[in-house]
Order: sequence, then structure tokens, then C-alpha cells
Amino acid sequence: MTAAASSRLRRPGLGTPVIIVGALLLVAVCLFPFVWMGLSSIKQLNELYTIPPRWWPDNPTLANYYKVLFQSRIPRYFLNSVIISVGSTGLALILAIFAANGFARFRFRGRSFWQAFILVGQLLPTAAIIVPLFITLKVLGLVNTYWGLILVYMIITLPLSVWMLTSYFKAIPIELEEAAIIDGASRVGILFRITLPLSMPGIVAVLVYAFITTWNEFIFALCFATDSTVKTLPIGLAEFSTEFNTDWGAIMAASMVMTIPIALLFLVFQKLFVGGLTAGATKG
Amino acid sequence: MRSNAGFVFVLPALIVLFMLIAYPVAYTGVLSVTNEQGQFTGLQNFADVLRPRVTTQALWNTLWWVGGSIVFQVILGVAAAILLNQNFVGRAIVRSIALIPWVIPGIVAATTWAWMFHTEFGIINHMLTGVGALDEPIGWLTRGNTVLPAMIAINVWKLFPFVAIMVLAGLQSIPQELYEAARVDGASYWDEVRHIMLPQIRPVITAVTLLLVIWALNSITIIYAITKGGPANRTLITPIQIFRLAFENVEFNQAAALSVMFFGIVMIIVFIYIRALANQPGDNQ
Repeated sequence: MTAAASSRLRRPGLGTPVIIVGALLLVAVCLFPFVWMGLSSIKQLNELYTIPPRWWPDNPTLANYYKVLFQSRIPRYFLNSVIISVGSTGLALILAIFAANGFARFRFRGRSFWQAFILVGQLLPTAAIIVPLFITLKVLGLVNTYWGLILVYMIITLPLSVWMLTSYFKAIPIELEEAAIIDGASRVGILFRITLPLSMPGIVAVLVYAFITTWNEFIFALCFATDSTVKTLPIGLAEFSTEFNTDWGAIMAASMVMTIPIALLFLVFQKLFVGGLTAGATKG
Repeated sequence: MRSNAGFVFVLPALIVLFMLIAYPVAYTGVLSVTNEQGQFTGLQNFADVLRPRVTTQALWNTLWWVGGSIVFQVILGVAAAILLNQNFVGRAIVRSIALIPWVIPGIVAATTWAWMFHTEFGIINHMLTGVGALDEPIGWLTRGNTVLPAMIAINVWKLFPFVAIMVLAGLQSIPQELYEAARVDGASYWDEVRHIMLPQIRPVITAVTLLLVIWALNSITIIYAITKGGPANRTLITPIQIFRLAFENVEFNQAAALSVMFFGIVMIIVFIYIRALANQPGDNQ
């Protein structure tokens, strides 16, 4: 049979119809909620509340966006979210760079123990430590401050950042650093002049990961930021759905405002982001 | 290079994590055996928190929530990964799109799906009655027997892309020789899936499942934002119960006692899993 000969040349696979149907189904399932969110956000009230629901708005409107951007606290929460996410991403990156350098380039007593300790942080049930964290932050006067949330977010960003960067640093040939040592460079000098420039993809992956996780975080923000001067967007959105209980158009517009920055950030950097994440997972 | 310089580099991160993890964990232990005045009360808080029927109910709900979420996340994630491992035009775009549910905030997923599940104006009821799958609209989020499955569906939608991307990375690292050897033996595509792909990605699936268990146990967002644990505690899972005990009833000590038990159970699961993970390489049957 000719099939035997051609299978050497061509890998067998799923049939083309299966691939087409599967891919369309996958795209539809993943995108439909966003399409519906977008459509709902430009509908007027009377078009939102019709039975049966209507697919396309007859009179598209931007009134819902106007309400979100000019008549609610969402812009302020957006600012808070940016400050807290940038702050905790920066802090996590600095701490992770030094820690990953230590883990990747040195042998010291208890190294594997401390590496495991850092990873356990990623596996911790957050609900179990909310109460003592709250009390600790209260004693330190950090409840309802930017610093409180920035610090607490180290729990969710630092472990994976250290893990990802360690695997990136390990991949850099050690000969480069040895040559620099012979030339009299210091350890910190090597880190900043050789290791970091060579691991930019890893750095970007860590930045995007940390930013997305902190931008999306809900529970810690709900517990530790109850004042509107520090509330973040996720809390704002939850509040919004209680406050404007029946105004689903405005709620969907607020959801769009919150989704677009993070979706753009992800789509721009997705190759580096996914590469860094899967590298950390499959090598780790 | 052997020196203590390495520890100096690692120290700042360790101090921060120690302060934020080790200390709170220890402090939870102290809170769980004392009362509001800080006097030692033995196991009183544990007894108080275990007495109401709602605690047992929350535990069962948690088991359903975690189990239901993970089974479907893994099945759909592996299926999507096998699909995305094929070469076809537009694969890169499909892969990017498939990841979006995982990247967007949990609260956005919660509100959008709550609107889609809306009894009268929701698109889901409209579509299901339209094709004749339902005779009349269902109150998905208000009926006791549909609300937890609806929550699980949202969680599955949110996280199966993560499984897909991890399993896809595993599939792409399978050595080409394995496929070639199978093809010499005349294996069909489904033989390859069963005898090469699935066994080779088992370690990835095990590792990802551990993460999914932890995330499901931590994920308060979707349920809290939509039902806050209702109706009639049908979606109350233990993490939400802890949260409500602490911040709505202001029973910090009872919440701490529940936290200790929850923490213990989670750590046992993690331990069993890590053991299973460590034993895995080598047993290729």
C-alpha cells in the first residue's frame, strides 16, 4: 500500500475535519464570554432587559463607558491597581534577581532546603493565613496602605519568580562569568553586567507574570484594602456589581476596562511569558 | 563556587517570605488555641467550629468543587493540547486565544458568567431553550442543585487553558525517535496518543494537577463574587467559611482553628502528591 510509504514522509495526525471543528470549538468557547461582554457593554438598558435576549444592539451606545469612566470610582481604583501592581512587580523582581543568582551560581549549606521552602510558598492555602496576616498588617499599621498590599503580594509572586529566574540564570554558560572574575569583576558587577543582560527574556517573563497575577488578585485586596483610597480594580468591580445591581451594561463596561490592558499585555509578550513559564515547569 | 556569598544573595527573599508565611502560619496555631483575651483554651475553638452542621457541609462542597473542577480541567486541557500539537494553519492564533480565559482576572470571569447565567436575560438560557435542550429557563445560580455545577463550569473554563499550555510543552518535548519507532511498527495516530503521548506527559499532568488542587482550594474569587456561598450554603466552601468567620462574624480564633484544620488537610494532600511525583520517574511499566 502507498500509505505505508507516505507515513514515513508525513506524520499521521488527526483528520482535517476534526482539527477544524476542534479549533473552531476551542476558539468559540474561549472567546464567547468576551464577545458577549463587549456586546452587552454597548447596549442600552431596554435592549439588555428584553426577553428573549437580543444578539446585536440596534442603537449602540457609549453611555455605559461614560458612566464607568466619569461617574464612578473606577478610574481611581485603576490608578491604585497600577501603583500596587507596578510596586509589587518591581519589588518581586529585585528580590528574585538576587535570590536566583544565589541559587543558580553558588553552593551553600541548606541550598536545596531553602529552594524547597520558597516553592512551598506557592503551595500554601492562602485562606489559612488571611487571619494572621491581617493581624500582622494591623500591628504594623499597613492595613489600607499601598505598602501593605505590595508586601503581601510577595507571597504570590516571589516563589515562581525565583524559580523561573533560577532556571534562566543556570542556562547561561558559567565560562563567561569566570572570564569576568579573572578580569577582576565583583560578584554584583557580574550579575548586572553579564547575567542580567543575557537573561532579558526571563526577566520579561517574570515581569509579565507578576504584573498579571497582582492585577488580578482578589482575596488579599478584599481583606487588606477596605478604604477607597487603596482599593484595587477587582474590588471595585465586585463593589460595582453590588452598587449598580441591575445595571449590567455598566458592569460589563467596567469589565472591559479591566480586561483590555491585561489582554494586550499578555498578547504582546505571550511568547516570552509562555516560554518562561513552561521552561520553569518542565525543568524545575 | 562554594561560599556563603550565595546565602547573602538569597537572604532578602527568604526574610520577606519568612515574615509573610512562616510567622503567620505559627501565629494561626497560637490563635487557634487561645480566646480573644489571649488565654489558653485548649481545643475549645476546634469544638466550637466543628459543632455547626455548616462546617461539614462546607467540607463536602469543597470536595465536590475541587474534584469536579480538576477532572474536567485535565480532560479538556489534555484534549486541547493534543489538538494544538497538530500542525495547522492559524495554530499560533488559536493557541493565543485559548490562553485568554486563564489570563483575565477571576472577578471578570465571575461577573461575565453571572450575566450569561442570568435566569431571564441570560444568553445561556436563551441558547438552550432556542435549540430545544430546555423547555423553560433555569435559575442556574439560584437553584440548589445547579449552582455548584455552574461554579465548577466557570472554574473549568478559566483554568483548562493552563493545563493545555503545560501539557503542550510536555508533548513538544517528546523525542521524535519515539514516534518514528512507533510508525515503523505501523502504529495509528490513536496508538501514538495512547502509548506515547499520554505516558510521556504523565509527569506534567501530575505536577499540573497538584497546582490545580492548590488553586481550587484557594480560589475564593469566583464563588464569593457570584453567590458569597449561597443559596442556603450550597456553594459554601471551607476557604469562604474561614473568610466569613473572620471578617463577617469577627470570630478570629474560631477562624484560626478552622484554618489549622484546613491547612493540615492541604499539607497532607501536597505531601502525598510530592511523594507520588518523586516516585514517578523510572516506573515506565
